[in-house]
Amino acid sequence: MTGPFESTTAADDSSVRSGADRTEARSDGGAVTADASAEWSRSGPALSTVLGRPILVGVVSIVVAFLTVPVVVTFVSSFAQSATGVVPRGFVTLEHWRQVLGFGDYGVRTNAMPGLAFSLAIATGGMLLNVVIGVPIAYALARYEFFARDWVNTVAILPLVPGLILGIAFVQTYPEFGRSAFGLIAGYCLLKSPYMVLTVQSSFQSMDLVRLEESARSLGASWPRTVLTIVVPHAKRGIVAGSIITWTLAAAEFNFTYMVASGSPDPFAIFLYRNISNATHLQSAAAVSVYFLIVVTAILVLQWLGSSGFTTARQR
Amino acid sequence: MSVRKSATASVRRVATLASTTARPTTERERERRRIAITCLPFFVLATVAGFVPLAMLARISLAEDTVWMTGWSLEAWRTLATTAEYRWVAWNTLWFVGLATLVSVALGVAVTHVLEKYDLPAERVVVAAVSFPIALPGIIVAYLIVVLLGRQGLVTNAVAVATGQSALDLASATAISGLLLGYVYSLLPRATMVLRGTYAEVNTQAEEAARALGASRWETFYHVTLPEIRPGIVAAAILTFRSGLAIFGTVLILQSHRVVTLQIHEETSVGSYHPDVAAAIGLVYVVFIVAFTFVGLRFVENDTVGI
Repeated sequence: MTGPFESTTAADDSSVRSGADRTEARSDGGAVTADASAEWSRSGPALSTVLGRPILVGVVSIVVAFLTVPVVVTFVSSFAQSATGVVPRGFVTLEHWRQVLGFGDYGVRTNAMPGLAFSLAIATGGMLLNVVIGVPIAYALARYEFFARDWVNTVAILPLVPGLILGIAFVQTYPEFGRSAFGLIAGYCLLKSPYMVLTVQSSFQSMDLVRLEESARSLGASWPRTVLTIVVPHAKRGIVAGSIITWTLAAAEFNFTYMVASGSPDPFAIFLYRNISNATHLQSAAAVSVYFLIVVTAILVLQWLGSSGFTTARQR
Repeated sequence: MSVRKSATASVRRVATLASTTARPTTERERERRRIAITCLPFFVLATVAGFVPLAMLARISLAEDTVWMTGWSLEAWRTLATTAEYRWVAWNTLWFVGLATLVSVALGVAVTHVLEKYDLPAERVVVAAVSFPIALPGIIVAYLIVVLLGRQGLVTNAVAVATGQSALDLASATAISGLLLGYVYSLLPRATMVLRGTYAEVNTQAEEAARALGASRWETFYHVTLPEIRPGIVAAAILTFRSGLAIFGTVLILQSHRVVTLQIHEETSVGSYHPDVAAAIGLVYVVFIVAFTFVGLRFVENDTVGI
């Protein structure tokens, strides 16, 4: 977004200055704005006015590079043949991907397919359970004022128990079921439910729930029918977005899985851990890239749905 | 007795409340039933998967025999209270996560400021790049830090070529600075996410006025923008600190600093199996996170806190 004050100074300035500078006057306040303050203020432009933008843009560039370069390098090097030096060489081979996905010479023991399928199934289970528990409570929190609403809200939107602790407690509490798919589904669902509740809640808050409901009720629909056929379909986008986010996060949830998983078949997160801690560099790169692909797909679908990626912060 | 009478009265009140909620006659009671119905699934799951295991954790920490859960003993808590090593671990965790929070929130403010105030050529790309790491689990973050700072790492070798030192000496992925960067990698996107929501609400007219009256950009930011985004900064700090405490995968792979999560892992691994001590640490940890969050939330409006 553009700071309006900057465009204003640029506009004021252009009325005084020649038209040649005007073409350079950028709405974001470039060098021209700095010149303008030189003309108007007594002591010349302040240091921050001259240096602020370059420094901040520099910091942001470094941050973005720090966040993206390793991801890109990992993805690219998963197609390389050897990595004896700094820069991997010998493009393009699919050997590492074949090993990771289980079509290589290494056979089924080291491949990800059963684990991947198992994890995807569990993540789907956690996601469905999340729809069942998350949508109703998001509705209650968005629609009604009630006793201890703030407390319920806090419990529902803040992941108060870390995955590691929950994992330990789980295994001890439910020795038989804790390590099964049921345990993993319940754990994933609880750990990722805040993302679902927040996303659906912001979707509910963006529409006039009371009026929508009252018109449906006044036309004779019962409350369950109103909720199921009017309210929930209106929040469809939020529910789909929440589902995608919870699904993607559950697919690679490590802390909880590490404590709970029994190893048959290995969930994807454990497979990633094995690959990262003791496989060759390029094979780890391929294993990690599998998850990158999942996340990128999820983000593209989310953006196509109109929300800006992995953001559950309320869109106002 | 009046206490007894009031106790009976409140029991009766709760019973009436329950029965009217189950069989409502007025619209108000029907609404109460709807609230109960819609909140019920969540609380069933939270009880089964959250509260009961946490109660079990308390029981384990107090058990004399941790295999069969029999007997009562304060041994684990005594160990926790008297061993200096645990205090050291707690201190390690607090300062380290605090530092990571500080760095992440400061960088988050810079990133958000640029995104909101400047017209960048590829704003959507920057937003995507900054929100992408939220979905990455700690083990992958650790791997990415190795890609940057390991012995074959890009930054390591770039610095090695520039300064003529050996890359082996420069590799810092498994040093504490590498771990700090790993924490920042996970936390910065979360801080940015909260701050973007706050920045969207900043009153730009006040900034405009300040600039028109001759304030420099820094003065405008410090005196006008900063007070407005302060709740967002506090919320981001709470969230970041809390997420930072829960990081485990990164520190498990890089293993360069003894934080609480690594300690819990150590207590439950085969060599030194102390489930009661692990449970006690876990409880202290959960209580700390909950208390910290609730105290922190007193300072901000509730709805500015996202994940």
